[in-house]
Amino acid sequence: MIVLGSNSEVAQAFVEKLLKSGEKHSKIFLFTSNRETTEKFAKHLEVKYVQQSEIIDLDLLISIDYSSLEHINSNLLFCATGFLGMGTEEGLYDNRNTQNIIDVNYAKLVPVLNYFADKMERKRTGTMIVLSSVAGDRGRQSNFIYGSAKAGLTAYLSGLRNYLFDKKVHVLTIKPGFMATKMTEGFPLNPKLTATPKQAADGIYQAYKNKRNTAYVLPIWGFIMLIIRNIPEFIFKKLKL
Amino acid sequence: MKPNFKREVSNWGNFPVVEKEIRSEDSLAKIQEFVRTNHEIIARGNGRCYGDASLAENIFSTKRLNKFISFDRLNGIIECESGVLLSDVLEVIIPQGYFLFVTPGTKFITVGGAIASDVHGKNHHMEGCFSEYVLEFSLLNENSEVLICSPTQNSEKFWATIGGMGLSGIILSAKFKLKNIETSYIRQESIKAENLDEIFQLFDESETWTYNVAWIDCLQKGENLGRSILMRGEHAFKHQLPKNLQNNPLNMEKKISPTVPFYFPGFVLNNLAVKLFNFFYFKKQTKKVVKNIVHYETFFYPLDIVNHWNRIYGKKGFIQYQMVLPKSNGKEGMKKILETIAESGNGSFLAVLKLFGKHNEAAYNSFPFEGYTLALDFKINSKLKKLVESLDQIVEQYGGRIYLTKDSMSKPSLVNYLKNVNNSKFVSLQSKRIHNG
Ligand SMILES: Cc1cc2nc3c(=O)[nH]c(=O)nc-3n(C[C@H](O)[C@H](O)[C@H](O)COP(=O)(O)OP(=O)(O)OC[C@H]3O[C@@H](n4cnc5c(N)ncnc54)[C@H](O)[C@@H]3O)c2cc1C
Repeated sequence: MIVLGSNSEVAQAFVEKLLKSGEKHSKIFLFTSNRETTEKFAKHLEVKYVQQSEIIDLDLLISIDYSSLEHINSNLLFCATGFLGMGTEEGLYDNRNTQNIIDVNYAKLVPVLNYFADKMERKRTGTMIVLSSVAGDRGRQSNFIYGSAKAGLTAYLSGLRNYLFDKKVHVLTIKPGFMATKMTEGFPLNPKLTATPKQAADGIYQAYKNKRNTAYVLPIWGFIMLIIRNIPEFIFKKLKL
Repeated sequence: MKPNFKREVSNWGNFPVVEKEIRSEDSLAKIQEFVRTNHEIIARGNGRCYGDASLAENIFSTKRLNKFISFDRLNGIIECESGVLLSDVLEVIIPQGYFLFVTPGTKFITVGGAIASDVHGKNHHMEGCFSEYVLEFSLLNENSEVLICSPTQNSEKFWATIGGMGLSGIILSAKFKLKNIETSYIRQESIKAENLDEIFQLFDESETWTYNVAWIDCLQKGENLGRSILMRGEHAFKHQLPKNLQNNPLNMEKKISPTVPFYFPGFVLNNLAVKLFNFFYFKKQTKKVVKNIVHYETFFYPLDIVNHWNRIYGKKGFIQYQMVLPKSNGKEGMKKILETIAESGNGSFLAVLKLFGKHNEAAYNSFPFEGYTLALDFKINSKLKKLVESLDQIVEQYGGRIYLTKDSMSKPSLVNYLKNVNNSKFVSLQSKRIHNG
């Protein structure tokens, strides 16, 4: 199994869910930009599930050496990399912020996903599970740089799914809404709309087992986004969302 | 949007409820920074203490320190971060033929909480407290330094932290020994006692059993005062299991737990309900002695089967009153306590009696000492304060003390037994209440 963004609490909960439900992997490849915390997770997997893993440094903001990835092969990829950056008010005209958001969520990420898609396509088997965001469903004034990068990612995944369909590779797009993670700690999130990492992992696991194409982590978000997507633009532009 | 870490928080008794800042981090650098830049901090595990022990102006939640570090499967030594729950430890160790040496009556507590309260189980008279099996832990002290503490290294800090209620710093990780088991089952005997004399006699007779605990019906008066059921147990060997269990002797038996979905309205748990509960509990067992093989979950954690059972006490919450009385005069003291409760009409749903053995002199902050301990749940109501005052008086008179991890309103003189834990960095609402009160 390949995990991009191994320090994400959702990624970790998903890996645990998978191992708990008895799926075996000869090795888990943990990609990370923070080796220290990932090492903790690797040891945890070793103790709790007698599961071997290998840590691979990957910082999307620095260049990627693909030759070091050659030995990595797996028919399951889970991608939870993401970068929220600063929202519109603080960060819109900060070019560095804008660039980082676009790079981590789309520009630098897509080539990495392509790299592994290619490997799966050649083997004609595999599943790619990628976390996009509800923010990509429609640009809103509060965080549309992030939203636009995620919209790009969602579109890429949809095309990739279409392309890989007859090559027996499945692509699952996950659209989390609010999640109670380190990233959102301290924000006043409505508990009914907020998933814990464990809930998210359970939901994603179900979607994976049912071979869904796209899934919201909490079903209620499907409904909310249906409404948000359908508000006519001349009204939407006046809303403070 | 600016983050706001203030949250409504309370522990298992839902009393008191306060609005305080809660933070949780998994990176050491960030934890150190948090300790450096804040005062009046306390660590909080899973909030299974009952009162205000893990509440403070600034709470550091260990929920993200939830990783295992190593497991020596040959020698039964495990190491993990302090926020790992005992339930997680059990999941890892039982299939390998190991069990915890000491476990409290719930498995939903953290390793950090087990050390900070130096928890005891039904086997204190034989095997002591949790700390007996702790080989070392790492502690973040008031200067934000990480100290490795063991009986030989930084031993002062080691012993101050054992039972130190988080007042000496934040435990980050710990290494402890495990007990060998052949099966995940317990050979149990339940024996009915008609009154207090009989139950004390049964405890004396059962001193060679590893696990002993009694449930008391504390609404009984006069001749029936102390009517109870003693449960004693031993880890079963494989050959003692019925044939159908022998194929899978270390079975984990995953059950789906019902959840109490909301706080019960206050009137539900009145005296009548307590009476009925105890009536059925004691009448259910018609024979004097029942011997059987039970799963460890049933034996150790009967209450864990219902998630959030604390909600049946309603929004106002409840307290647990747990005291220990010395062996020499403990029986007499217990009698007075039970009489006082029966007279007050303030029934306790749950009353558990246990025997403590000799305590480890080095673990000077631990609650247990040789004698009898009784734990009682009381719903918060207008009469409770007065009852607690009269019970405190008896405990004081008999030279006993109150378990800090359950305390939220007892007399300071019964709960101020901690030493070597005073600094301005780690201060809980409980320690403030005790010192100002
Ligand atoms: C149903 C039930 C049955 C129980 N049965 C028993 C029993 O049989 N025997 C027994 O001894 N206890 C028993 N308890 C009490 C329980 O074991 C203790 O209160 C335990 O300490 C709770 O652990 P926690 O992880 O929830 O910690 P919390 O309740 O969050 O904290 C308890 C104390 O530990 C400190 N602490 C927690 N984590 C750390 C850390 N990482 N570093 C430093 N300090 C820390 C806190 O500051 C606080 O003082 C029971 C509780 C319940 C709810």
